[in-house]
Amino acid sequence: MSDRFESYHPVINFIYFASVLIFSMVFMHPVMLGISLLCAIVYSFMLKGRKALMFNLLYMMPLLLIMAVMNPAFNHEGVTILFYLKSGNPITLESILYGVAAACMFVTVIIWFSCYNAVMTSDKFIYLFGKVIPALSLILSMVLRFVPRYRTQIQAISNAQKCIGRDITQGNWFQRAKNGVTILSIMTTWALENAIETADSMKSRGYGLPRRTSFALYRFDRRDRSVLLIMCGLITVLLIGTLKGETAIRYFPSIKIPDMAPFSVVVYVSYAVLCLVPVILSLVEVVKWKSIESRT
Amino acid sequence: MKMTKNRLVTAIVIVLILVCSYFFMGPQPNNMIGVSPQISEVAQSTASEPSEHTIEPKSKSSEDLTEVGKAKDSTASTESGESGEPETLSTESALTETEVPLQEESQVTDAPSAVKPSGAPNASDGSIKKPIDKSTSTPKVTVGSNPDTEQVIDLKTGKDQYQTAPVPEGKAMPVEPQDVTISDKALTATLSISAEAILNNIDLLDKEKVELVPEDGVIFSPREVTFYEGESVFNLLLREMKQNKIHMEFVNTPIYNSAYIEGINNLYEFDCGELSGWMYKVNGWFPNYGSSRYQLQEGDVIEWVYTCDLGRDVGDTYLLQNGKTGSGESTP
Repeated sequence: MSDRFESYHPVINFIYFASVLIFSMVFMHPVMLGISLLCAIVYSFMLKGRKALMFNLLYMMPLLLIMAVMNPAFNHEGVTILFYLKSGNPITLESILYGVAAACMFVTVIIWFSCYNAVMTSDKFIYLFGKVIPALSLILSMVLRFVPRYRTQIQAISNAQKCIGRDITQGNWFQRAKNGVTILSIMTTWALENAIETADSMKSRGYGLPRRTSFALYRFDRRDRSVLLIMCGLITVLLIGTLKGETAIRYFPSIKIPDMAPFSVVVYVSYAVLCLVPVILSLVEVVKWKSIESRT
Repeated sequence: MKMTKNRLVTAIVIVLILVCSYFFMGPQPNNMIGVSPQISEVAQSTASEPSEHTIEPKSKSSEDLTEVGKAKDSTASTESGESGEPETLSTESALTETEVPLQEESQVTDAPSAVKPSGAPNASDGSIKKPIDKSTSTPKVTVGSNPDTEQVIDLKTGKDQYQTAPVPEGKAMPVEPQDVTISDKALTATLSISAEAILNNIDLLDKEKVELVPEDGVIFSPREVTFYEGESVFNLLLREMKQNKIHMEFVNTPIYNSAYIEGINNLYEFDCGELSGWMYKVNGWFPNYGSSRYQLQEGDVIEWVYTCDLGRDVGDTYLLQNGKTGSGESTP
């Protein structure tokens, strides 16, 4: 299933990710955390397939566990004392649960950011912010590109070295270290040269001259407008719910959750729908395609 | 740089945010402004009257400030007058002022602990051991009959190796917990824990914690508790809190060689304003060192109190005394 959400207007993409990220960071309510985490995993799976699943399992699960254990080791607040550490400080139920919640939130935000990076490409970002903050948006898009770019380049160098038997996987350990240093040296040279080339290229194309416009293929059409309206409606419901305290939770000194009410269910559902907007859009697309296909 | 419209707007937005955050910062302790002038004034007039440290009106603070300036000038002039004398002399005079008598009658029982001032590498370079026998005027070190009762003061800082200023005359000296062996001789003391000071400052208290404060502020009513010879105030508190299922969190601070009590009954430091936290007093005195270093004696009365104002609201006069001289030079 390909992601249709990517083809929507950058404004839609950005509003979606901004709202979802902010809500994920702010809401500490267990139901909201669960919704956000699940949706993030589903969307990352839809975007990147099994690679995302591996990433989530291999890196995010241990991170989640470590963070959940870290909090009660250092924070001993809370009224429900479970047992005492050897040093004499108490381990409390509240600090454990808060640790779990904070870890969930952390992992969720990381997964959302991995989705963001896949959808919000640098051209979209520059399209959105090139007018408002030209220098910063250029720097951001260049910096964000550095890590993947350098990684592919180092892979290319390594492959080339492998052909002449000088990769880090070849030879004894001393030879390997030597080869590794050589690869790094080639990499550094390339990076410096590449920086100069980029600067020259930008200059020759007239970067920074006044009255220059940039070309973009983005068009804000009807489907964008309807999605924007739906998202705004959902965000409004969530904001009202937050103001009414439906998403609030108190962890210390004792856990206090607002009672479930019909309205809180509405808030949960709208949060889930907001998080699943890209998945729903893709599903609708698939269903539409299937029905068209079957008609002919 | 051109002043474009965007830049102007950004600047205005930043200023607005700063103004808003200033006004919505939340309640502040109402005596923050006059703290230092107030102390100095009280110390100048009557250091013996603890009841005088009431809140000063704001308008007076500027006046006080000038007063402080004057006081500083005068001390500076006296210092310059004395500067002709050799330095050793002045330190000696400071010494005689800070003498503390031996407390053999109270501490002899702890003889098995046989404390050595192990961590005193600076004993040779200008540091002295306290107390000094009153009759001898020369700064002779008494490696007396009971090493428990001495406090090694570094003359440069005026503090001992764990940042403690000289202990007032007649009060118990700090005993390092690592040097103590705890015997199984059971003794009794009186322990109480009170957060009464919060009741007067309930509007400063964290909203989520109001329910934790008892009606009368008493968390642990005064009662006889058992401890074992050689134990510190902290050991006793830890055991009693465990036994009575009262929450307590502490953190060990190596620089002061003591545990620091962060919260009792989920009432934490800073929960009731920026100057709040837990303090302890033994027999009515607030020791100027940590609770792990206060060795208990039979019949001691230990009170843990929550302060919302660095101890001033619970009757600690340490700040008042030190406001007078700055270096803890003299005792009232």
